[in-house]
Amino acid sequence: MPNDKYANMEEKLWILEDLNMMYIRQIALSLQDSDIQKKIDHEIRMRDGACKLLAACSQRDQALEAAKSLQTCSTRIMTYMSELQRMKEAQVMQNVPRRSSDAGPLDERMPCKGKVAISDLRIPLMWKDTEYFKNKGELHRCAVFCLLQLGGEIFDTDMVIVDRTLTDICFDNTIVFNEASPGFELRVELFSCCSEDDYSAGSTPRKLASKLSSSLGRSAGKKLRAAMDPGQCSLVSNGGAAPFLLPVPAVPGPKYHLLAHTTLSLSHVQDNFRTHDLTISGNEECSYWLPLYGSVCCRLVAQPRCMTQQMMSGCLKVKQCGGDPQSWTKVYAVLKGTSLFCYQQQEDVEANVEPAFTIGINKETRIRASEKDPHSKAQNICVSNQFGGEEVTHTLTTESREDTHRWMEAFWQHFYDMSQWKQCCDDLMKIELPSPRKPAPITPKQGSLYHEMVIESSNDLSSTVSDILARRMQELELRSQLGTSLTWMSVFEENNTKPAGFPRHCTSCLSGHSPRTPHRLPRSPASPQRCPRLGLLSSDASLTSDSDSHCSTSPCCHRHGWPEPSSNLSLLSSSPFGLRPRTLSLDAKLSTLRGRGYGGGTFQCPCQPPSSSLLTPLPITSRSPCSQRSTQTTLSCSSSTSSNSSSNSEGSHSPESSQGVLFSRPSPARRSLRNLRARLDPRNWLQSQV
Amino acid sequence: MSFVPGQPVTAVVQRIEIQKLRQGENLILGFSIGGGIDQDPGQNPFSEDKTDKGIYVTRITPGGPAEVADLRIGDKIMQVNGWDMTMVTHDQARKKLTKKKEDVVRLLITRKSLEQAVNQSKGKYPRP
Repeated sequence: MPNDKYANMEEKLWILEDLNMMYIRQIALSLQDSDIQKKIDHEIRMRDGACKLLAACSQRDQALEAAKSLQTCSTRIMTYMSELQRMKEAQVMQNVPRRSSDAGPLDERMPCKGKVAISDLRIPLMWKDTEYFKNKGELHRCAVFCLLQLGGEIFDTDMVIVDRTLTDICFDNTIVFNEASPGFELRVELFSCCSEDDYSAGSTPRKLASKLSSSLGRSAGKKLRAAMDPGQCSLVSNGGAAPFLLPVPAVPGPKYHLLAHTTLSLSHVQDNFRTHDLTISGNEECSYWLPLYGSVCCRLVAQPRCMTQQMMSGCLKVKQCGGDPQSWTKVYAVLKGTSLFCYQQQEDVEANVEPAFTIGINKETRIRASEKDPHSKAQNICVSNQFGGEEVTHTLTTESREDTHRWMEAFWQHFYDMSQWKQCCDDLMKIELPSPRKPAPITPKQGSLYHEMVIESSNDLSSTVSDILARRMQELELRSQLGTSLTWMSVFEENNTKPAGFPRHCTSCLSGHSPRTPHRLPRSPASPQRCPRLGLLSSDASLTSDSDSHCSTSPCCHRHGWPEPSSNLSLLSSSPFGLRPRTLSLDAKLSTLRGRGYGGGTFQCPCQPPSSSLLTPLPITSRSPCSQRSTQTTLSCSSSTSSNSSSNSEGSHSPESSQGVLFSRPSPARRSLRNLRARLDPRNWLQSQV
Repeated sequence: MSFVPGQPVTAVVQRIEIQKLRQGENLILGFSIGGGIDQDPGQNPFSEDKTDKGIYVTRITPGGPAEVADLRIGDKIMQVNGWDMTMVTHDQARKKLTKKKEDVVRLLITRKSLEQAVNQSKGKYPRP
């Protein structure tokens, strides 16, 4: 029975694992290095925990996170083990008596270590446009995360779910590696896992078999170490590669696969964002495939210790060359970064007092020991810098020869560090660590570029135009009660059939009722409200009940209408003409203007009938989506008090509430905000009323 | 109603003449259109071929001029007053229908039932 066979194999695997652990412990013991041992133990415990969690959890998200932890732990275990092996090898090599030819300089200079930080990882995706606009079908989602490895340190980023609405994969984490040498290799690996598959352990037997085919021992260990250059192994999908020292228990659950990788080094470090190429593994057939553009953009900075820490400090006497030979200044000097800071006293350093002076120490600085000065006990050190063609030399002297030697040594080390860290030593690169805070609230899913093309009302042409018009109208009204120069408004009329008539109507109305703040453009349905008291009131009402929100409500005839027709009525009935016209904000005006943007632009004849006809049509038209035409005709004949009327000629034929419905009939000059948005949203299927 | 790229489109069509109705300042036809080469054809509920980017009638106002002229929902508009409607954007189509100077539009429309009717009638009269 195959199940039995697998069970057997599994058992053998566990035995092997135990043996491996003993082997590891032996090595660690012999090395007398318990540090790595502790780390390995810790990671193994974490890994066991992740396995248990994976087996136990039912939610997809949890499973993915647990699988990610599993991946990270496994990789860390691998790395620690390989490091252990390496140390063992080194120790063994040391014990072997050296041949003379092997002897190298005993005190080889080592460059200082530094911090390397990588942040703002962004990997662009390249969906096919058919994929991108596709609305049918389920969203094929993948969970991705990045594993970053430098030396013995491995970190993972947070997990991101990617589907075809995203244009980039963005990781917000900043990862800092603390012990990096200048020759570092930062390996970035992108793992992904399909988010819809059933968890099947179908490929497990194959892995078990390959794992079992290895044998322990020094030779196997060596092979392993070669195969396990940190980060080269993808733990899970690596059926055919070299067997692992510590096999992963076969846990059912989502498995991450290596999708792409790249290696960054010192030459990629810059205080800016840079794009690097990715090597993509896998192809379109794989379940975990994502169409990567092929590059990764990130910010990689390095802070070598020589730039951030004091490399050397002590008391010195400094003399500027060219001054008299006796003017030695006693200072407490600190060598840090690209300068030698000379403080008056040692306490100044802690007190953060400005140094007395600073001598620059950079790549162009020349330092040499001068000839023995008969006056002093020790040799002098001359530090020369070039300042715009001129050479400035400072002479330093110390108390004793040992001090001089130590300072020279420090300078040499500093220069060596700078030569090794190259561009990182020009200036201190900043590493920004995000302040520890609660995880940010779930941000709205990263939209695509299309959906992010929000048309702000300020950018809307219509509102800008109406803005200008509004202001002009106000100016006109304020200046003269007549407001005669309204002929230019006819420009905005779509139907120029009666150019002369309307403005005249407007002017007459305007002139008739002076304390009127709301201006109306001739096309607006509310302009007819110029007819006396009621007109004024309803215009007030229109503006007050109008609000931006009504523009954004779902498309239906109510859009133009009053949200509460009753309030209109009450206002109409209750307030006499003496109502003080309210100063309305520009916003309200604009929103009315916008709201009026569509309606067929029925320009209703302004001066007309009495209140009764005004009142009655209101409730009917605002509510019924498909009012009879007769009602409309009534409305159109009577003076309309509300913007309802104009829109009703169109609006009552309310189109079905499917997406993207809009009235495109009216003025092309003034599209509504929603109109534009609907048009620009590629997912809507437009319908137009004709 | 599928088309083969490069070949002339053939369809059984019907001519429909709609008199525009004047409503205040506007001339309305009383129906809504959907589709266009700039729209997503997959969302068209009336088309047989979901890659068809033609202009379709999506709604008829009851009692409107279009209903009176026997335009039906789901009809695909091939021509308007001689202008082609099979390869136009949504806005172009709308404009051709709402020209202010014209108060009548002559549409060439096609619908599935027409084709079926023709096929049926063909069947009744076997060729000699």
